[in-house]
Amino acid sequence: MSATTENQPLPRLATREVLLRKRRGWFFGMTGDQVVKYLFQGNAAVSIIVLGLITFTIFKDAVGFIPMNHANLAVYRLAGLEYVDLYREQVTAHSTMSRYLADIRARQLDILMQQEGLTAAAAMARLAAFDDFANKFADTINEQETLLGTMSDLVTAVKERQKVAEDLMVARQNLLGGMQGAAPDRAAQLQKDAAAIQIEVIDFKAEIQPVLALRPELVAANASQIAAMREIAAQAPKFADAELSRRMGKFQGFVQGYFKEVEVIAGRMAAWDQAKPIGWLEAFNAFAFGRKWVTASFWQDWYGIIPLLSGSLLIAFLALLIALPLGVAAAIYVNQVARPAEQKFIKPYIEFISAIPSVVLGFFGIAMLGETLRRVSQIPALDWVPGFPMAERLNATTAACLLALMAIPTIFSLAEDAINNVPRSFKEASFALGATRLQTIIHITVPAALSGIMAAILLGFGRVVGETMVVLLCAGNRIQTPDLASGLGVIFQPVHTMTGIIAQEMGEVVRNSIHYRALFMVGVVLFLISLLINWLAQKIVRRYRISIG
Amino acid sequence: MVTLAPMPEPTVTPSAAPRPVAVAPAAPANPAARAVIEIDDVDFNYGAARALHDITLNIPERQVTAFIGPSGCGKSTLLRCLNRMNDLIDGARVSAGQIRIDGVDINDPRVDIIELRKRVGMVFQKSNPFPKSIYENITYGLRIQGQKSKARLDEVVERSLRGAALWDEVKDRLHESALGMSGGQQQRLCIARAIAVEPEIILMDEPCSALDPIATAKVEELIHELKKQFTIVIVTHNMQQAARCSDRTAFFYLGKLVEYADTRTIFMNPANPQTEAYVSGRFG
Ligand SMILES: Nc1ncnc2c1ncn2[C@@H]1O[C@H](COP(=O)(O)OP(=O)(O)O)[C@@H](O)[C@H]1O
Ligand SMILES: [Mg+2]
Repeated sequence: MSATTENQPLPRLATREVLLRKRRGWFFGMTGDQVVKYLFQGNAAVSIIVLGLITFTIFKDAVGFIPMNHANLAVYRLAGLEYVDLYREQVTAHSTMSRYLADIRARQLDILMQQEGLTAAAAMARLAAFDDFANKFADTINEQETLLGTMSDLVTAVKERQKVAEDLMVARQNLLGGMQGAAPDRAAQLQKDAAAIQIEVIDFKAEIQPVLALRPELVAANASQIAAMREIAAQAPKFADAELSRRMGKFQGFVQGYFKEVEVIAGRMAAWDQAKPIGWLEAFNAFAFGRKWVTASFWQDWYGIIPLLSGSLLIAFLALLIALPLGVAAAIYVNQVARPAEQKFIKPYIEFISAIPSVVLGFFGIAMLGETLRRVSQIPALDWVPGFPMAERLNATTAACLLALMAIPTIFSLAEDAINNVPRSFKEASFALGATRLQTIIHITVPAALSGIMAAILLGFGRVVGETMVVLLCAGNRIQTPDLASGLGVIFQPVHTMTGIIAQEMGEVVRNSIHYRALFMVGVVLFLISLLINWLAQKIVRRYRISIG
Repeated sequence: MVTLAPMPEPTVTPSAAPRPVAVAPAAPANPAARAVIEIDDVDFNYGAARALHDITLNIPERQVTAFIGPSGCGKSTLLRCLNRMNDLIDGARVSAGQIRIDGVDINDPRVDIIELRKRVGMVFQKSNPFPKSIYENITYGLRIQGQKSKARLDEVVERSLRGAALWDEVKDRLHESALGMSGGQQQRLCIARAIAVEPEIILMDEPCSALDPIATAKVEELIHELKKQFTIVIVTHNMQQAARCSDRTAFFYLGKLVEYADTRTIFMNPANPQTEAYVSGRFG
């Protein structure tokens, strides 16, 4: 540099000229700085556009769900399925009582065989009177079941016809759509075909009449059923055993409750109004608060997200509960306690876990973990644990254990970063005041890193909620809202998840069908959850930066 | 207030020309003072690299001893040996010699390092209050020792803050974050935090290097007060500061102790030409 200035002294330009001189670049007149700048701007723009497109597509397909579900619910009402479902509740209530009787019988048999030491045949003989009672009781629903069957057949037939009509409508639409751009003779042919399609317009008001006409029969059936039940209940067998007679008392209570329910249901059926319009909000709420996800059903499809959402959240919380102490403790240990040699070993090891393909983990879950957990749960000494013995080897806990394994590297790395970012001077000050290592960790390091750790936990949660393969393989995939009534045992119930259902059903659904769109709605919910989690994590991290100063 | 008789130099870079240094220890050092810290033939290593060579010096009780010398000469290293802060650094160790406090070899395996650090407090170069309230900062040392009595903690907070000449400035905001204080206040808070656990010895590693002249003057005045009660060892590379606040001064160069004597002697009449060159600002 100095050599050139010595060799040939360049003519020096006036400052005024130098300042205003235009800089010419080497790349189409752009300087390196500009090239880099445009390159990065371009990159950023592309990512934003792609992200926008993804969001837009998901939302567009999802939004279409609402009107479709609206139509779905409208047919449910118009064809009278709703009306029949009201009646079905009565039948269900009755069979619940019969099941309760069966339960009592099982206990009784148990007592006879275990405590009185009877043989199976002798015990059965002793139960003959009870069985007679139970059978007579079960028979009191026969008339209702017949009526329910008749009504179901009537309304399903109407619904089927409506479905056919809808399908034909779509077919005609397709034919007409094919006309555009087709050769003239082909177009004419298509038009003729389209015109030939006969689409039935169903008069729901007329079609429901045969169903409604059954009402007097329903009333008569109920009256005779109640009379019969009163009579039978009065002859209910008595038990010497306190527990059994308590249960029998409860059963009598159920019977009284059933009488009231019959009345209520009859009232609701009388008040049922086929013409009442379905609100848009109702169509949305059926998704957002619906407790049933039933698809491809002969009766009625329901798209309620609650069982999936609660399954996902249950698994995620369980996984977090396991991953949190392990991940954070590992982070604290590695950063604060471990010797450098240990650090060199542990850090890559934990981070390696995230390199395991999730399908391999799922495989391990099915082949090993689920079975092992179930074996453990069957050890008699562990009977006191709620939910033990487990009914299914693939359940929320099996999936959560594996998801925890996947969340640990995320939580560990981020928490370790957060702890590492705590200024060394805090630690030194604490030691200089005579604090032990543990005191320093508890009182200084962890509190100072707390927001970072919180963010780590949130992002770990996000990782878990979004994970698909493991839950699909190991969560048991039973679409049901976890039953909180079973207490802590709820964690051993099989569940289905939002990610799992999308992965499982998306490949099979008809494009643009209501089911297809419902899956997109589930996708939107997932998307919103991740968005919320990331936003919260960023907010927390930002506050953390300020507090450290 | 502080009398800024000779205005303290804000910068520490010695100018090329030698210049006189004001020396004003209030009283001549008490030669009869007992040596509370005895450093005997100490070598110190960071792994394979030797940072201190054969250091021997005795630090008298209730006096201010200053360590001076150019950057990297090992002042901080020696200071951090005195409360074994170097234990936190991997591979760092006293490789030869002995450091005794009150006659006990502090590197003896039987020594309780927690008790050692309670007795030998430390103030760091960069003020480092915890991201907690002023009150919690001061009481931290006592709380971890299990002190729970609110009355006792309150009393200690007031005594320590008064001791650090900070009480009047912060008494109305004890429960606000310590990070909202000025730099000088933060450093005095760190001093208050150190004296709250009632040490015998306070180590200060360039406590004023990040402070403006006014805050520096306040801390220096505070050091003057504190020596009535504590033995103080201060590292500084501001020679005016060493001259103003210390009773004895040790000059280090390249990990060796070059000269150790009364501050007055070091500055007015150094025995070693290197010392003379350094204190007069001919090299740094
Ligand atoms: N943590 C450390 N690891 C290795 N060498 C260090 C470390 N701290 C200081 N040193 C070295 O020890 C020598 C003395 O450093 P130090 O005591 O900090 O000097 P001073 O405080 O006098 O400026 C320097 O050469 C420095 O590079
Ligand atoms: Mg230093």
